[in-house]
Amino acid sequence: MIHVSNVSKKVMVLNAELTILESLSLKVETGESLAVIGPSGSGKSTLLGLMAGLDVPSTGTVHIAGINITEMSEESRASVRSEHVGFVFQSFHLLQSLTALENVSLPLELKNSSKPESTANHYLKRVGLKDRMHHYPRQLSGGEQQRVALARAFACRPNILFADEPTGNLDIVTGEAINNLLFELNREEGTTLVIVTHEQSLASLCSRQLHLKSGQNFTPVEEMKVKC
Amino acid sequence: MLVLQNFLRGWRGGQSKLVLASLALAVAVVTSVAFLADRVEKALIDESTAFLAADLVLESNSLIEPRLSAKAREMELQTSAMMTFVSMVYSNDEMHLASVRAIDERYPLRGELSYSMFPFSADSSAVKVAESGPPSGETWVDARILPLLKIGLGDYLEFGDIKLRVSRVLIEEPDSRGSFSFYGARILINIDDVAPAGVILEGSRVKYKLLIALRDDLNPTLLSNYREWLAERLTIHQRIIDPEMAEASIADSIDKGRKFLLLSGSVGLVLSAIALALASHQFAVDEVMQVGLFKSWGLSRGRIRRFYLVYGLVIALVGATVGICIGAAVQEILVLLLSEWLPITLPRAGLMPLLIGLGTGLFCVIGFMLPAIWHLPNLPPMTVLRKDLLVHSVARAYRGVIGMLTIALLLVWYSENLLLSASILTGLLVIAMAVAVIGLILFRLSKWFSKFLGGSWRLAFANLWRRRDQNLIQLFGFSSAIALLLTMAVVRTSLIDNWKLQLDEDTPNHFLINVAPYELTGAEALIKEYSLDTAGWYSMVRGRLREFNGEEITAERREKHESLRRELNLSWAQNLPTGNSIVAGRWWGPSSEILDSADVPVSIETDLADELGLSLGDRLTFSIGGLNFEATIASTRSLSWDNMTPNFYFLFPEGVLEEFPRTYMTSLRIPPVKKLILNDLLRSYPTIQVIELDRIIERIEKIVVQITRGVEVMTSIILICGVLVMFSAISLSMSERFHESAILRTIGSSRRLLLSIQLIEFTSLGITAGFLASLGAEIAIAMVQWLLFDSAWAFHSWIWIAGPTAGGLLIGTLGTAYSRQSTTRAPLEMLRKL
Repeated sequence: MIHVSNVSKKVMVLNAELTILESLSLKVETGESLAVIGPSGSGKSTLLGLMAGLDVPSTGTVHIAGINITEMSEESRASVRSEHVGFVFQSFHLLQSLTALENVSLPLELKNSSKPESTANHYLKRVGLKDRMHHYPRQLSGGEQQRVALARAFACRPNILFADEPTGNLDIVTGEAINNLLFELNREEGTTLVIVTHEQSLASLCSRQLHLKSGQNFTPVEEMKVKC
Repeated sequence: MLVLQNFLRGWRGGQSKLVLASLALAVAVVTSVAFLADRVEKALIDESTAFLAADLVLESNSLIEPRLSAKAREMELQTSAMMTFVSMVYSNDEMHLASVRAIDERYPLRGELSYSMFPFSADSSAVKVAESGPPSGETWVDARILPLLKIGLGDYLEFGDIKLRVSRVLIEEPDSRGSFSFYGARILINIDDVAPAGVILEGSRVKYKLLIALRDDLNPTLLSNYREWLAERLTIHQRIIDPEMAEASIADSIDKGRKFLLLSGSVGLVLSAIALALASHQFAVDEVMQVGLFKSWGLSRGRIRRFYLVYGLVIALVGATVGICIGAAVQEILVLLLSEWLPITLPRAGLMPLLIGLGTGLFCVIGFMLPAIWHLPNLPPMTVLRKDLLVHSVARAYRGVIGMLTIALLLVWYSENLLLSASILTGLLVIAMAVAVIGLILFRLSKWFSKFLGGSWRLAFANLWRRRDQNLIQLFGFSSAIALLLTMAVVRTSLIDNWKLQLDEDTPNHFLINVAPYELTGAEALIKEYSLDTAGWYSMVRGRLREFNGEEITAERREKHESLRRELNLSWAQNLPTGNSIVAGRWWGPSSEILDSADVPVSIETDLADELGLSLGDRLTFSIGGLNFEATIASTRSLSWDNMTPNFYFLFPEGVLEEFPRTYMTSLRIPPVKKLILNDLLRSYPTIQVIELDRIIERIEKIVVQITRGVEVMTSIILICGVLVMFSAISLSMSERFHESAILRTIGSSRRLLLSIQLIEFTSLGITAGFLASLGAEIAIAMVQWLLFDSAWAFHSWIWIAGPTAGGLLIGTLGTAYSRQSTTRAPLEMLRKL
């Protein structure tokens, strides 16, 4: 489903070139779940951005669903994301002015889906928020907000779901509940899942783990270990 | 549909509330003033035509040819004929030189003719409005003629060869403004009685008038067509009088009121525009996360751009609609306040103010909102994962230029007044530059100074420099708002003070002229007897202009200019009289210098100099009592006619005219109950000429009171605009302040410390803004006063105190109150939100 080949990412910081990722290659098969783990600054989020087509590598190629997105314009990559990709974020990224139901229906409306509201309704029920549909994010707990975010992500029926520290802002008990829900939904929908996390408990739920280890002197990726 | 949904959701969430409020206020200010200006314009024209008793008047020194009035009637215009002259009226042994006005049954074509059946009644309910003037055989007279001739209502007076029955007391004709040419009390007679009376002989000085008016249902072009036709046939004895020329003093008050409305409208517009620019900036910041989400969901740049363009359009339409409704309501309130003066039957305003409102809405969104959100579709999709990514918005300099250009275009379009627009823009530019330079230096100094301070002062002062980018934008918003409010306050105060002068109970309402030196003591004593005060006695010498630069003035030129046909009042003064200001040349020095010099200098009123084509250095020969007397124009002066004190077209230095026979003039306030003094005065001194201005001053007073009310309402609206700007500016830094407060509270800072940091920061910003605003305001006021209101520039020391004080208090209080919740909410709740 995702093929990352010899990818490097370099950025300019204060007129100096900073290498975030170097010569990284990996494959994620359809239906597989992959955890990218590593300490802060190891390039986890950068790698997620590249795999999801939010950014392009400095060198190397990225294929999503067999499509080489590396040479594509942002507009074309947007169209690939629209078709194949969904996201769950650490800080939930719910729109504060929208109710839970509206937050879930908005991407469906933007994709011109038929019956966005009933779909949103279905997924919110699925994540256990039947009675909180018309509540605003500020009226929901952190765990409930992340449930809304999960409903929003799965409601669009993406082929691949990227989750960036999905339980990073939650306590352990709530975090575990969210993890379980995420994997349940993943199983039900048959989605390919890529999770960026520094929590071993979450990573262990994935079928595969990728360790990114940061190094010194602004060369964070010195070693890549793949555990199966 | 999706955009509309999002707009409504955004409204709920509050992101677009400030944007909409600013836009609605901009449109409301513009439309309310546009609506009102339309009505004021019509009211002004109505008022002016009432002063003429017609829409147009043909004035002639000789009989007006019948074909001129026939042509007007042929064009379906209304006409009325009038004659004015001076004639003796008698009753038994009493006589009086009266100012006679002979009218036909159609008079007046505009305005109202009022009368009373009770002489000298102070009761206004006794005053009635007449459909037409006296029929043949009757006369309506000025009340004071009755005791002069020792007659009462119903008695007869002799007028030439006929007798006329005195049937009513004449209160006011619409065109009975303070003419300086009439002598005694007024009498109104029917024009058919003039010929039988035989008072007009060959060579008699008679003014003939043909009054013209357009029926309300006819096209106004008919009148202008007739005017053109008439202008081609004028003889040198004739002139056309337009409504604009009808009454300068009232027109001046109304005109200043109108300009103030325009100024306040423009200031309100600029304030709302700045508020909109600031709110749009914050809106764009708030939208970054949403755009990141859109991008992660795969929305193309084009689609996001279209989304925000339509969003802007929706905001423009909704803002404009709300603004137009508020504007129409405000306008109704203004009209209600001015209802006594504004004609009740004014037609409703047409589509124009609506179009102006909609146009303003669209224009504001294009000029302020779109540049602020233009970069949103170009945000990298990675912003959804990383908050530290730099957001490249349209460069601040470009946005500043686009904003200034938009303000300039809006101002010019809206006010149609380049001078006003230039004044406001100059003030804003000065503030922008001062903020960039002085603001930055002050912030840097505060950073340096903070090292020597402790506690909240140290943190607050360091913050000024640390947040300098945001603080500079806030400083510009605060300074502009305070500067524009100060400008309004100064102009408003000076206008109202000026008008109060006219409302002053002591403002003279009568002029006494032609008082001989031997009559002076007696007249003064009589005035004292009635417990009245004069504005002082002015000497004057009567003389005619005879030659310009040594050449005899031709008969043809004399016919063209009334001032060349009559005796002029010449006076002298060593110092420039109050209300006079030099336009060109210079006022004279000590009298010794003048007397030693060969040339006698003279100062001439600037409009008369222009009319006669005279300029500095021209030599004028006057004929005074048969003696020729030469003087050279040393200066031209403009005069203030507002204060009702004697003014002179020609002024000489002291020691030049004293040897010629002189008379005296003065002005004084005569209340209605003491009006009989005029009879005693004229009976004892029949050659004294009295000019009565009491009616006209009453009318000015009424108008001024109402315009003042309108000005106060507009000032309140502008104040709301100003507070909105400050609110928008304060809200710019709120999310950062919330974040900071949460962190500081988490590490154990007290609420008191946080509040005092915010108080010090906002108060310092307010004081700095007030100081910079005083600078901008001083420049804008100088330009507005000079270019718009023809007033001299004056330094306003109080604004340099009021600006920083008000700025510190207002922004310190508003800012601290607004950010107070950052210290009351649980830190975790805030951190989770950010």
